[in-house]
Amino acid sequence: MLLAVLSTALIAGCAVDATAPARTAERFHAALAAHQEDAACALLSQQTAEKLPDPGQTCADALRELKLGAAGPITSARVWGDDAQVRLAGDTVFLHRYSGGWRVTAASCRPRGDRPYDCGVEN
Amino acid sequence: MKQKIKENGLSLAFLVMFLLTLAGQAIAGTALFNDQQLVNGGEPVSLLKYVTSSDFAVDVAENWQSEYLQFFLFITMTIWLVQKGSPESKKPEEAGTGSDEEQLVGPYARPDSPAWAKVGGIRLSLYSNSLGLVMGLVFVLSWLAQSVAGVASYNSERLLDLRDPVSWGTYVTSPEFWNRSLQNWQSELLAVLSMVALSIYLRQRGSPESKPVGAPHAWTGVEG
Repeated sequence: MLLAVLSTALIAGCAVDATAPARTAERFHAALAAHQEDAACALLSQQTAEKLPDPGQTCADALRELKLGAAGPITSARVWGDDAQVRLAGDTVFLHRYSGGWRVTAASCRPRGDRPYDCGVEN
Repeated sequence: MKQKIKENGLSLAFLVMFLLTLAGQAIAGTALFNDQQLVNGGEPVSLLKYVTSSDFAVDVAENWQSEYLQFFLFITMTIWLVQKGSPESKKPEEAGTGSDEEQLVGPYARPDSPAWAKVGGIRLSLYSNSLGLVMGLVFVLSWLAQSVAGVASYNSERLLDLRDPVSWGTYVTSPEFWNRSLQNWQSELLAVLSMVALSIYLRQRGSPESKPVGAPHAWTGVEG
């Protein structure tokens, strides 16, 4: 029983593949760089996509206004459970795993020491 | 069959209660987790997904480690430390590991003594301390499991809060890890203290954990 708990913990905590969230983060920034804001919006989590626009704006309008642009290559990707953090040369992106795959919950994030990142796009 | 059940009733009753409460914890934990998912914009998870998550594992392991620590300490400390008047304690003059004759080992072993009680050397030494060793080992493994599951669960929460995840080394020195550990330890130690001290003055008729109802308060190591 104890070994089962330990194995579960190890599986849940460590043996995870960071490729999928890294690819989503890459596609998100590639869409922004190509000015395909609608495609980028489709990669946002529902909560983030809903919160992002001001009244009268679409999600794509809001992303366009933020001028996020290209973020460069991926430098690291870390996954814990259903959450991930992908660092690119020019941005840090947070993602959550849904039944339909990984979605961006926060982007355009700047570190603030041990306080939460300050993100231009967040839920 | 009926006789077997009667002879093992105490273990069986606790095994059934353990399994029922573990199942209850899994069901309540899934509901709580899913309630939190609503706040975080996540999707509800199945019972199976929850019981294989680090959130469930850390909650289970943190309680297990403290229980096994409690029994490890109780088993080993009562070798030398006594409490006058408590049925949980030996008499003050009996403190210590006892003679081979008292312990029925080596040349004093009975024909029906366990095999390793009849031999000497490392096997006798191991068997003489096997209860404490196993309790101590399960404590260490459970605490390790708590730390491994804990760092996974903690990091998942940190990512949700848009914070950097931490390493295992940072986690095991974090307030989160020690708060989880110490809140369990203090309650276990209080439970042992209550059992040792209250049983000096209070009685539970028929329970081997109590002195006989009429036994004087000063009697030590007498179980009824």
